[in-house]
Amino acid sequence: MKKVMVGNHAVAWGARLARVEVISAYPITPQTQVVEKLSEMCADGTLAACFIKVESEHSAMAAVIGASATGARTFTASSSHGLLYMHEMLHWAGGGRLPIVMADINRAVGPGWNIWTDQNDSLSQRDTGWVQLYCETNQEVVDTTVMAFKLAEQLNVPVMLMLDGFYLSHTAEPVDIPDQELVDRFLPKREAPYKLDVEHPHAFGALVKPDAYMEMRWLMQEALRKVPQALEAIEKDWMRMFGRSYGAIEAYRAEDAELLLVTSGTVTSTARAVVDARRAAGEKIGVLKVKMFRPFPTTLLRDALSGVARVAVLDRNVSPGHGGIFAEELRSALYDLPAAERPEIFGYVLGLGGRDITPTVIDDVIEQTRTGTVPSRADLWVGVNL
Amino acid sequence: MPETIATTPGTRAVPEVAISTISSLVTRTGSWKYQFPEYHDRVAPCNAGCPVGIDIEGYLNLLREGRVDEARDLLLAENPLPAVTGRVCHHPCENACNRRALDGAVAIHAVERAMGDLAHERPAPLLKGAPRAERVAVVGSGPAGLACAYHLARFGYGVTVFESAPLPGGMLRLGIPEFRLPREVLDKDIARVAAHGVEIKCDVRIGTDLAWDELTRTFNAVCIATGAHTSRALDVPGEQLPGVRPGLAFLRNVNSGKRPKLGKRVIVVGGGNTAMDCARSAMRLGAKVTVAYRRTREQMPAINEEIEDAMREGAEFVFLANPLEFTEKGGRVHTMVCERMVLGEPDASGRRRPLPTGERFTLEVDTVLTAIGESSALEGFFTDVEGADSGLRVDALGGTSRDLLYASGDVTDLARTVADALGMGKRAAIGIDRHLRRYHGDTTELNALRFADGNLSAARWLRRDPIRRTAAVNKVVTADDLNFTQFRRVPRHAEAHLESDIARRGFSEVNSGLSTADAMDEAKRCLNCGVCTECDVCLIFCPDAAITHAADGAYAIAMDYCKGCGICAAECPRGAITMTQDRP
Repeated sequence: MKKVMVGNHAVAWGARLARVEVISAYPITPQTQVVEKLSEMCADGTLAACFIKVESEHSAMAAVIGASATGARTFTASSSHGLLYMHEMLHWAGGGRLPIVMADINRAVGPGWNIWTDQNDSLSQRDTGWVQLYCETNQEVVDTTVMAFKLAEQLNVPVMLMLDGFYLSHTAEPVDIPDQELVDRFLPKREAPYKLDVEHPHAFGALVKPDAYMEMRWLMQEALRKVPQALEAIEKDWMRMFGRSYGAIEAYRAEDAELLLVTSGTVTSTARAVVDARRAAGEKIGVLKVKMFRPFPTTLLRDALSGVARVAVLDRNVSPGHGGIFAEELRSALYDLPAAERPEIFGYVLGLGGRDITPTVIDDVIEQTRTGTVPSRADLWVGVNL
Repeated sequence: MPETIATTPGTRAVPEVAISTISSLVTRTGSWKYQFPEYHDRVAPCNAGCPVGIDIEGYLNLLREGRVDEARDLLLAENPLPAVTGRVCHHPCENACNRRALDGAVAIHAVERAMGDLAHERPAPLLKGAPRAERVAVVGSGPAGLACAYHLARFGYGVTVFESAPLPGGMLRLGIPEFRLPREVLDKDIARVAAHGVEIKCDVRIGTDLAWDELTRTFNAVCIATGAHTSRALDVPGEQLPGVRPGLAFLRNVNSGKRPKLGKRVIVVGGGNTAMDCARSAMRLGAKVTVAYRRTREQMPAINEEIEDAMREGAEFVFLANPLEFTEKGGRVHTMVCERMVLGEPDASGRRRPLPTGERFTLEVDTVLTAIGESSALEGFFTDVEGADSGLRVDALGGTSRDLLYASGDVTDLARTVADALGMGKRAAIGIDRHLRRYHGDTTELNALRFADGNLSAARWLRRDPIRRTAAVNKVVTADDLNFTQFRRVPRHAEAHLESDIARRGFSEVNSGLSTADAMDEAKRCLNCGVCTECDVCLIFCPDAAITHAADGAYAIAMDYCKGCGICAAECPRGAITMTQDRP
């Protein structure tokens, strides 16, 4: 069934297809439509979920944590300051190994107050134990939402998927809605290994002393380490059943490329168009889309980038006092490649606070990367007018 | 790739989530606390606001539990005339009701009315105390006199009520029209008072038929409850003209079954219930009625419902109009000349004071009914009693300046409503009981009989309060003390009214009240402010599972585990849990 819908509604449809049982969310621009659509679905009975209204994002996450602990499939969505307000509870979900799925509509963080997109909200939640997946299209959003539940429940890790605010959340695209029966076969009801059960009472999240805390963190690390492989298998199933897959990373026209643009989110689509034009002109340029930021797909990236001469990382984010976050992580991942295979990495910071990244901007980035000397500075800011 | 580097031999099985392996009882979280939750029932604002001193919250709570007969008995413990007050009381309880802040006050008067009517069909067992030798006379059979007699009878005294009119009821019968209070209803409520052994002697006027000092000689105590039956004069020129009449006398005629002739155009002067009753009665006799009042709608002392009914039935209102004189034509009143007023600063009553503007206007009129207030007059009365000429001065228990002479109701200088009269009658009964039993304890102990700073409870005076209260604190619970998130919005039930066209044509009761089923539903809207109803919200929300609910209904808090977080008190729907920093 094809439908034209905005990214926010694609999120809601994904949650509906996954037959989530408990939703708790608090509205915030640009995520509000997700909450509205889901509450409509709950109200009209097309989604048999309990929708818990709350007074804040902290409570929203607390509510889905409680519900998830009972074994329910749970979902929430937030953005920017809302996500930041959840921060404590994000740790609780991660450490509690609760397979919650959440959509974050990427929005810049204030002040200055800004409702447009960049990735600093979700990237600042890097160390909370959540899987992070950055989506490019509305189709990918629907598909990823469903797959995220399978991934989360297989390994008992929470999964956050990201949509660029407005560029994806409020842009309508045709979306093929997978058949519910097939989705049900793909994603059966959740079986929780531990759950709150009045017949067998246990306290969850209670005191863990130094003699066991570290072991539990190790188990968490192990679970996250298994994510890329698990996702690959899940995507294979999805491909078989629905004919689409995305990958933790995706190389586009990267064969024999001497220069690769490393992107995430909607800027990938723009980069694809630029690369198509460059390829037509005979230039050996490609795109490497990084969908998964946590766990960081180190092995996949080393394989994909080893031997490429120059890499331009497009970061719609910045770690103040350091550089673009994807670029820094990538440098770290590639550091111990043999010198001959290690690409020169150009880290660009651009598009913050929703500033448009046009084909012209990407052309400038390509020119700079191709002709520039290897920068001593970690971060190259594109288009700063001072 | 993450790897482990073993620094100690051997591994242990560690679950991937922090799940308890032993009971959490080992963690005595109680040591963390600096404040303590305590169950304290407090006072619902309706109870404190009821001039009668009815345990409204108590009987609504019994109704919620389906204990209808017990609810009836609890209501009757304080109020001898619930079918009457359910119809005519100005219900300050509803103004006080905390549910106003949620979705509208509980329609307490409508529930009371239904209970009053129910008590006629299913009479309560008569409660009579151990018989006492003393006899008490009550002068006047209005609400104050009946209340005093009723409670005294229930305390065990022989009581005789003297009434100057042919039938008992006082202002309830002579002042309030049938379309507000059907006589059959009044008769049944009075019959229950009489059934307690109260002797009611009608057509006896004390001071004329029987001297006051003879009365005080014959009886051990006397309570004066003769009311206020004289319409206050306007004191303006032309007031003596034919066609200008005291409203009260008019009502007395109509209420005695007479149908006095009125002119076509009637002006009622005043804004109280007597004025509204005059206006509505006059309309029923075919007159075109205008109400002239010197302030505005907001300051009218009449019950809101009655103002609305009068308006619905077609009365016109001229506000900010102060009569200056009446002019005559052909020997009868012809016009009322008024001065236009303007509202100034609030006066002692808290209402904005009308101030003259000098602007005059004239209304043509055939009959004027004056209803600007009533005063009391006592014939052949003791001249040495304080307030004998202006309104008797009484103490907290109705005692006048003369020993064993008590007073209640409109004859005193206190508030003039049916509810206040019933409350004063009860206070006088308790005062007389204390006095005759030579019980002269400290009057501060009376505070234990009150609902907060409200009226006294007869049930508490008799030590027969059937409601179990947990460590009660005599303080009113405000809306801020409640947790409204625990309550669903339920609209207040509306009473059915006669169509105004039909109502205007006769004297049938206009407000037909709520059906019994609706009244029982309405009772369930009570939030039980300040009173534990064993709803278990505290127990459910306690993060330490430290609260247990015993079979007898009592809650216990395991202080070894209560960490003093205060969630129980914050979540309690009705403010029945108090946090204290005083170690219990």
